[in-house]
Amino acid sequence: MAENSDMVSSYSERGLIGALRAAVWSFVYVPGGQPERESGWLPSWLPAWCPTSIPHLEEAEEKMLKSITRIYSKEHIVISDGNRVWTLSFKQTLSNKTPLVLLHGFGGGVGLWVLNFENICRDRTVYALDILGFGRSSRPHFEGDAEKAEEQFVQSIEEWRNTLGLEKMILLGHNLGAFLASAYSLKYPSRVKSIILVEPWGFPDRPGNADEGRPIPIWIKAVGAMLSPFNPLAGLRLAGPLGLSLVQRLRPDFKKKYSSMFDDDTVTEYIYHCNAQSPSGETAFRNMTVPYGWAQRPMLQRIDKMHPDIPITVIYGARSCIDGNSGSTIQSLRPNSYVKTIAIRGAGHYVFADQPEEFNQKVTEICDSVD
Amino acid sequence: MFDLERGWNLSFCGCGFLGVYHVGVSSCLQERAPRLITQANKIYGASAGALNAAALVCGCSLAQCCSDVLGVAKEARKRNLGPLHPSFNLVKILKKGLYRNLPENAHELASGKLCISLTRVSDGENVLVSEFNSKEELIQALICSAFVPIYCGLIPPSFRGVRYVDGGISNNLPEYDLKNTITVSPFSGESDICPRDSNSTNFHELRVTNTSIQFSLGNLYRLTRALFPPEPTVLGEMCQQGYNDALRFLKDNNLLSLPSPAADLCLAFPKATPLSHHLTCDCCVKSKREEEDLKRKVLEGPTPWSLDKRIMERLPPSLCYVLQEACREKNGLYHQISSLLPMRVASYMVMPYTLPVESVVSVALRLVDWFPDMPEDMRWMQEQVRSVAGAVYSQAKKRLLPSVRSSGHGTLRKCLSLPPHLHRASSYLSPNNFSSAMDLEGWVFDFSCPSLLRDHQDPNDPQLELDSDAQPKCIFSLEDSGVDVNFSTDPEDSASEL
Repeated sequence: MAENSDMVSSYSERGLIGALRAAVWSFVYVPGGQPERESGWLPSWLPAWCPTSIPHLEEAEEKMLKSITRIYSKEHIVISDGNRVWTLSFKQTLSNKTPLVLLHGFGGGVGLWVLNFENICRDRTVYALDILGFGRSSRPHFEGDAEKAEEQFVQSIEEWRNTLGLEKMILLGHNLGAFLASAYSLKYPSRVKSIILVEPWGFPDRPGNADEGRPIPIWIKAVGAMLSPFNPLAGLRLAGPLGLSLVQRLRPDFKKKYSSMFDDDTVTEYIYHCNAQSPSGETAFRNMTVPYGWAQRPMLQRIDKMHPDIPITVIYGARSCIDGNSGSTIQSLRPNSYVKTIAIRGAGHYVFADQPEEFNQKVTEICDSVD
Repeated sequence: MFDLERGWNLSFCGCGFLGVYHVGVSSCLQERAPRLITQANKIYGASAGALNAAALVCGCSLAQCCSDVLGVAKEARKRNLGPLHPSFNLVKILKKGLYRNLPENAHELASGKLCISLTRVSDGENVLVSEFNSKEELIQALICSAFVPIYCGLIPPSFRGVRYVDGGISNNLPEYDLKNTITVSPFSGESDICPRDSNSTNFHELRVTNTSIQFSLGNLYRLTRALFPPEPTVLGEMCQQGYNDALRFLKDNNLLSLPSPAADLCLAFPKATPLSHHLTCDCCVKSKREEEDLKRKVLEGPTPWSLDKRIMERLPPSLCYVLQEACREKNGLYHQISSLLPMRVASYMVMPYTLPVESVVSVALRLVDWFPDMPEDMRWMQEQVRSVAGAVYSQAKKRLLPSVRSSGHGTLRKCLSLPPHLHRASSYLSPNNFSSAMDLEGWVFDFSCPSLLRDHQDPNDPQLELDSDAQPKCIFSLEDSGVDVNFSTDPEDSASEL
């Protein structure tokens, strides 16, 4: 902290205030993703505030992936606009089964599937990608409009698939990934053989009578209103040099979840470096939500238009705070299609890390039922 | 979905006054699926959760627990400063309530089944206690688990001679990571039984010593209310919420249809089973008629709080009655007058004058209460002061006089990196005697003084290297007591010299 204030004082007063404002603004609230445009001397200053960079992220990811014993390749797949999608491929050349594509959730990356690769890629090609705007993929500017942002995400997945030349795939999405998997399947049903939604975000509508029960005191509502324009993880970047320890403090559970693989802070470091970069996918996500955490364009309103031949499996953690009723609602909306809900006991939102064995087994079963 | 074959545990998280939520959950479990409680392997708890777990294990009346919690909350709200007022002595109230409510053989019922989470003061480590030799010991453990430092007092209570504070500081939800633990928390988040905030579907959460707390406005409100209790009506609603959430959990896991042998037995032979079936809810001990009476009374009585009658009916009548009683009492003439705005303003205005007087009185009262424990507490404080002073002194010495030490006794320093008095260390730090581990810093400081060292041991003594079997023992006990700060500094020092 002291170093920072020293650095700041060396700059002129007027420039300082303007730069500070721009810095704070660009870090917490990016209405149109201006940071690239109005940068100035700022980029040289910002890394000092948040101890992160692309090489940091690469290093953290390498540490995460080190323990994988399978042979795999990792590369950037170039799609339109010069955007690149970071991809891990576990190729099973002898198998002609439909490949499985893993879409991580909000704030995650390919590294989080590290407990799952081993088992689910036994006899099937598996791809894991960093969604555009997250992890090591490009972080482009997303449209402020929820529909357009969603379209951009879906388009990036389609271009990615096209570049790789995949004919058909099984989509597995967690959280935001599940939302995008459904959105993709709505638009390109011919490319999808089956969807697995793990702890899907953005399915139910925001309940109209949100204030049932005792009304919350006004000052708490005020706090909520004050925080709602900010990006969900703005605090992480605002904390700057304290960001990493903030993640470790607030989410010690991640370390525990992956303790079978790492006994140090590898996971928290990876998560920190994934999210401390300039927010792009995160901003898009925020634009797609309405307070608090609901989707602006809920998937349950559209899921009935999904091609009836695409089977949907919903996997929940029994302890998660995401409501498990979406599965049965999807079933009632698609009466003539295959919909199955699986709840995994002892698991929270990160099902695949909380109970990896059971999760891997279920996913393998589902994939085997496809072909 | 829920695998009953392999056994299960219950774990109640610590949550201060929100413990009334646990009471709601417990009453639902007792009423609808008593087997979950009676046949659980272990019931864990921290802080308020531990109190509730003890009540469950010992078969106390939950209605009584509920009324006690509400009573304490009201007591805390009575004063202008709330629970921070000097005359509010939570530990004393708790102790009295526990002595009154727990049965005489509580320790027998609790041993092996109840597991209380404590935080050891000396090193901040978590300790789970599940064996109790007497009712006093059980109560002392519960007090330790509920002792929020500063909020409850300054001198932490001791259990078997070791100082402990609130279990929530180190582990608020014991054994939450086991698949077959049913976790109960009044904060919405990733627990088996917890409220679901209807206006938020945020998947961001934080973990406070194992308790998952979702980022939501509801939770923010609950957090502010954990130590500063809200009105009894709000607490009543939390109790209700607990009941509903537990019911939802039972429904989701198909546990509702379970046969309830304990309840049946109890109804059949209410007198023949005085203690062994304490585990059942008191409402099933009551005859059906009594229950009906109570229900009628509840429904006829004026409902001064805005709870839906339809929902109210679902709570066990005894619990419901207690809640209503607690909410109604407030409507006396005195209360009406004192709740008028001018009266309240006046009471705040005179506070600068009344507060010192009240403080003096309550401090005097506390002093009287303190007398029996005084010598022990004084000894403990002395130890603390000595260890702190020792640590400060050794640090200062190391920083300020590095040249003297390194130049004068370079060879001696080497043997310091191997602790010279190994057997001594292990005997001094026997794992059973944690409180004395606090003294370690002072001890190290004594022996790191080179002149003393020379008297005790020749640096070239070959026995030092040979004494290998004592060394791991020493290291083990060191780690066990968690005080390794000063020890590790010495090898570092010598390394830097080399």
